[in-house]
Amino acid sequence: MTDFLEFTIDKFTFRTATDRFYDDMGLWVKPENNHIRIGISDYLQQRSGDVAFMEVKPVGTGVAFGDELAVIETIKVNISLTSPVTGRVIEVNPAMGTSPEAINQDPYGAGWLVVIEAAEWATDLKHLLEPQVYFTKIKLEADQEVKKE
Amino acid sequence: MTNSDHTSKIVIVPCSGIGKTYGTVSREAAYNVTEDLRPEDTRLVALSKLVLGDEEARSIIEGNPAITIDGCKLACATKMVQENGGRIAQDYAVLDVYRRYKQFKPLGIAELNEGGVQLAQALANEITQVVDELISGMGGEDNG
Repeated sequence: MTDFLEFTIDKFTFRTATDRFYDDMGLWVKPENNHIRIGISDYLQQRSGDVAFMEVKPVGTGVAFGDELAVIETIKVNISLTSPVTGRVIEVNPAMGTSPEAINQDPYGAGWLVVIEAAEWATDLKHLLEPQVYFTKIKLEADQEVKKE
Repeated sequence: MTNSDHTSKIVIVPCSGIGKTYGTVSREAAYNVTEDLRPEDTRLVALSKLVLGDEEARSIIEGNPAITIDGCKLACATKMVQENGGRIAQDYAVLDVYRRYKQFKPLGIAELNEGGVQLAQALANEITQVVDELISGMGGEDNG
């Protein structure tokens, strides 16, 4: 069972799953044997708003670290999500085409985006954040925004 | 407003979110239906009146089927109609409507872009169909 770190600001509670890594943008990266499952953190999905559409690179696409992996359109913004790992897309969550609201409803579970067969995992891992580090980063960011208001 | 044979009207309750694109789409669609497409069969009730406990608004809600249009997942319009004893015949969420009309991307707040106007029109057309079905059903009941 997944454990979470969480903090609350006003009526919003942001959860960070502790069983995976994160990139700076807010994608989570979860190693599963030789494959890497990728999704959007609870913080990023709440900040971005309700998802209208999600377009993910199709199965078979080769991506390098930093290449565009998906484009998300929410009621607030359009975001280009870049790949946190190098490899090949081997699975895309079918829910992204039909019910992308899964990202908002269950960002660490049913709302996953893709599975990638990593080619340079050891290198990619150096760019990723441990959950506690990511949690501290977003909490600081959120606290600073509250102070601005 | 012209006279109508219908003693009941369909109540349209849109989102009251000011400063939100999807809220604006909901209101534009509601105005379109109640002022242009089906003025004789519908009437608009402002969500803010329900929030403030306005007795007349509450009475209208209690006595007529309602179509709610929510601008976000908080679904205030739907919830307030339910809390005021209303019967919801159909509820819409603008985001779901947009997913059906991806070509009409809404932007703007006080004034919608062309996509927003078209999305509001598409939503109004869908609502009009529901209104017609409801009115038809009412007529059937009246005729026994």
